[in-house]
Amino acid sequence: MHIRDAADVEAAVRAAIAREQPIEIIGHSSKRSIGHAMATNAVLDVSALNAVTCYEPNELIITVQAGAPLDDVLSLIDSKSQEFAFEPMDTALLLGARSGRGTVGGMIGAGLAGPRRIKAGGARDHLLGAHAVSGFGDSFKAGGRVVKNVTGYDLCKLLAGSWGTLAVMTEVTLKVMPKAETGRTLVLRGLDDVTANRAMTAALGSPYDVSGAAHAPHPALRAAARGALARLASRGHGATLLRLEGIVASVAHRATALAADLASFGMAELIEDAESAALWRDIRDVTPFAADGALGAWPVWRIVCPPASGGAFGQALARETGGEVIYDWGGGLLWAALPPSVDAHAVLLRQRLAAIGGHATLLRADEGTRRTVDVFHQQEKGVAALAERVRLSFDPKSILNRGRLTRTSIS
Amino acid sequence: MPIMMPASDQMVLNRRDAIVADLRAIVPGEGVIFSAAEMLPYESDALTAYRQPPMVVVLPETTEQVSRILKYCFDNGIKVVPRGSGTSLSGGALPLEDAVLLGLGKFKRIREIDLDNRVVVTEPGVTNLAISQAVAHAGFYYAPDPSSQIACSIGGNIAENSGGVHCLKYGMTTNNVLGCELVLMSGEILRIGGKAPEQAGYDLMGIITGSEGLLGVVTEVTVRILRKPETARALLVGFPQVEAAGECVARIIGAGIIPGGMEMMDKPAIHAAEAFVHADYPLDVEALLIIELDGPSIEVDELIKRVEAIALGCGSTTCRISGSEAERDLFWAGRKAAFPAVGRISPDYLCMDGTIPRGALPRALARIRDLGEKYGLGVANVFHAGDGNLHPLILYDANKPGEMDKAEAFGAEILRCCVELGGVLTGEHGVGIEKRDLMPHMFSEVDLNQQQRLKCAFDARGLLNPGKVFPTLHRCAELGRVHVHSGKLAFPDLPRF
Ligand SMILES: Cc1cc2nc3c(=O)[nH]c(=O)nc-3n(C[C@H](O)[C@H](O)[C@H](O)COP(=O)(O)OP(=O)(O)OC[C@H]3O[C@@H](n4cnc5c(N)ncnc54)[C@H](O)[C@@H]3O)c2cc1C
Ligand SMILES: Cc1cc2nc3c(=O)[nH]c(=O)nc-3n(C[C@H](O)[C@H](O)[C@H](O)COP(=O)(O)OP(=O)(O)OC[C@H]3O[C@@H](n4cnc5c(N)ncnc54)[C@H](O)[C@@H]3O)c2cc1C
Repeated sequence: MHIRDAADVEAAVRAAIAREQPIEIIGHSSKRSIGHAMATNAVLDVSALNAVTCYEPNELIITVQAGAPLDDVLSLIDSKSQEFAFEPMDTALLLGARSGRGTVGGMIGAGLAGPRRIKAGGARDHLLGAHAVSGFGDSFKAGGRVVKNVTGYDLCKLLAGSWGTLAVMTEVTLKVMPKAETGRTLVLRGLDDVTANRAMTAALGSPYDVSGAAHAPHPALRAAARGALARLASRGHGATLLRLEGIVASVAHRATALAADLASFGMAELIEDAESAALWRDIRDVTPFAADGALGAWPVWRIVCPPASGGAFGQALARETGGEVIYDWGGGLLWAALPPSVDAHAVLLRQRLAAIGGHATLLRADEGTRRTVDVFHQQEKGVAALAERVRLSFDPKSILNRGRLTRTSIS
Repeated sequence: MPIMMPASDQMVLNRRDAIVADLRAIVPGEGVIFSAAEMLPYESDALTAYRQPPMVVVLPETTEQVSRILKYCFDNGIKVVPRGSGTSLSGGALPLEDAVLLGLGKFKRIREIDLDNRVVVTEPGVTNLAISQAVAHAGFYYAPDPSSQIACSIGGNIAENSGGVHCLKYGMTTNNVLGCELVLMSGEILRIGGKAPEQAGYDLMGIITGSEGLLGVVTEVTVRILRKPETARALLVGFPQVEAAGECVARIIGAGIIPGGMEMMDKPAIHAAEAFVHADYPLDVEALLIIELDGPSIEVDELIKRVEAIALGCGSTTCRISGSEAERDLFWAGRKAAFPAVGRISPDYLCMDGTIPRGALPRALARIRDLGEKYGLGVANVFHAGDGNLHPLILYDANKPGEMDKAEAFGAEILRCCVELGGVLTGEHGVGIEKRDLMPHMFSEVDLNQQQRLKCAFDARGLLNPGKVFPTLHRCAELGRVHVHSGKLAFPDLPRF
């Protein structure tokens, strides 16, 4: 069925309910290799819902149909010097998918935020409103078109990152933010992971408004085949990166002050403008672990933990598995490429992680591995039961993306 | 105007003495209050026009006690109304005749200050301001700053998704909370999120925040703290027309500048505030903006220049820039005292809270003016201009028969107008009972049903804070049915179940 509008989505979902046949929801399906294989061969493709409904730069909002190509939307808002502040990541390199693909609905469905999450929040913080069709076959709206809104439950928060298991979004309103005038990166060289973690903690606790704090140990850096991180690697040593953004005078001042604050960690070198931006794109998209690179055959984990614990955790993980780790969010986000093993080191990793609190998603792995390992983190029993009740309150017949999030529900 | 509340359960009321005794077995001593005189302070929240003594007040001190109380009430079909500091302006904590009022005021301990992870773990009864005070020594603060911050509890902030002047730049409560301990109506204790920047699975914390005490009782919160900006300076800018002030706000944002705060007052509010605090506000203007820039001094100095130029370009007639902390405080003093100041010029006032798209500001103010004439009531406007959150203060005299009803009808019309202009019914005070019956103006029955189904996932028996937020109560079983309407079915020939 060709989906032209929300009514078509509603009709398609209702038909699926009537047939009791689950459907897979896709935008451009650039992230189809994340999660568990779905127990269906029926696909609901929303990519034809691709119009920009309304863009009001002065209101800092944009409303688009969910299938709108992200590429187009990003260039549109870029033309007004605006952006999505949560810096959504492009998973194409990591997953070995075609670049330039992806819809806004898919971006929200996946909810993967980039380096600026520590300052600006995640996708969930920028979704102001949505129209969506639930697994009841009902078209409902959530939120609104204004930034300050506490009218009713904030259903948008649930939709972001729900991987299409609650409702099919047909239209979304997102907050946009002005782009910073400039950006600079301070680079500290040769710190071990734990020390780097301490440097990032100090930077993030400073008044200098750091908008990115990442660390790439040298072996991980060296895996980068091209781009800004590869250029850094060629000069030996791991790199700890701290980003400052804003108006020119302020960034210059803060860079000097922050470098002085961090003097005990070493002399910081300064990378400016375009090269700085390129560095953060590489961190965001985890280019050293690219599917066509040296570590391309290794499974990749996305681990979220309390930031100050990241360094020690990652260092131990790399040592125990022989893998490589890259740190973002000041230590709160770890990308780990681990040598292939029966369970992609899931048991070890999740056991260790339980001690500090956090969760891990197996973002890249072959289908065989994904069939035996829980891609998404298993929650504590009571929370998992609540989450399941929440899911059923949107989709009682499990029509939408059945089996995507949990291995056990494949039937 | 009487607000319909859920019918009282006579069976529960008849068992009151037994219930009091049972609760005392859980919370001994002074933790259970049931004399009329002692329950008086709990009769209402800050929406004082509505009062209702609760059946009994219980003030637990531990999560374990909260869990046992809720389980007891769950097993016995007794309704529960949670309460923090009782500063809600929408009647969220208004008791019910047949409900237990669960006060969280004794949860006053900050459990952990973790500067390395930039979080504070605290009990829900701690005030908003106390969190900032607890980390001030290290140069940190908690960003969301409702004007009620000295009094309101962080638990109430979570329930209401509260915000303040800083929200434009630093977000509301929802953007600054990482996790909580939640007790469900069944008594089950859950941990949602924690110190990690993101939680696993669905964003349950995001849905609990702003749920107005209808989903569960929060017994611990993990909030993000931020390092204080190096400095802050403010501009006080007056305009001969409201439209020009609105234009100025739009151009500042359009220029890519996000101030730490951007507030607006109209003429009646300016005059009331000036008479009260003598902040030296210009009295010959129709609108006054207070714009605060924060960050490193070098940045603030530069942005002040840019904002000043924009203001002049929009035809501002006064533009003063704070030269000292004392002067900045003075600029804010009037705005911060605007509500009590208005309270001095009118026996009573009703504070409304709707949001509109920024661009609709002039149209909204014109409509409010017209409505004021229609109802014959004065109105002063104070609002968070940066994010379009209006606070019209409707002036009336409760002693004059019929005036309160008129004020409420006026307020409802303002909120409906906000929705018509593309905005929403409430920007920060919540729906509570105050705006409950206006919900269908913004949401269709289908929209509301979806929200209520979610409520059922947390509280299947509907015992937690019923009568708030939703204009009609539904049974969860009836909401759970899938309707496939034959009229709309796209494939009518397919078999239906
Ligand atoms: C130039 C460029 C820049 C990019 N930058 C970013 C970036 O900054 N941030 C970023 O995250 N990505 C970025 N991407 C990557 C990628 O395009 C997105 O994440 C993307 O939008 C995924 O969309 P998709 O349609 O391919 O998702 P799919 O793989 O089709 O879907 C992803 C998930 O969302 C669900 N889903 C899809 N559509 C809907 C819907 N309408 N309703 C409900 N659920 C739905 C699916 O079921 C699935 O679970 C970028 C891509 C390009 C080309
Ligand atoms: C003078 C004044 C100024 C104000 N200014 C602002 C402002 O600038 N911004 C703003 O957003 N609000 C403002 N408010 C409104 C109010 O202060 C906030 O809504 C505040 O968050 C309420 O907190 P509280 O502890 O008083 O909650 P209460 O009034 O006790 O309760 C509010 C709601 O929260 C629920 N609740 C309370 N604690 C819990 C808990 N632990 N678990 C679950 N549910 C709970 C209650 O059931 C109720 O529904 C103002 C109020 C006043 C009186």
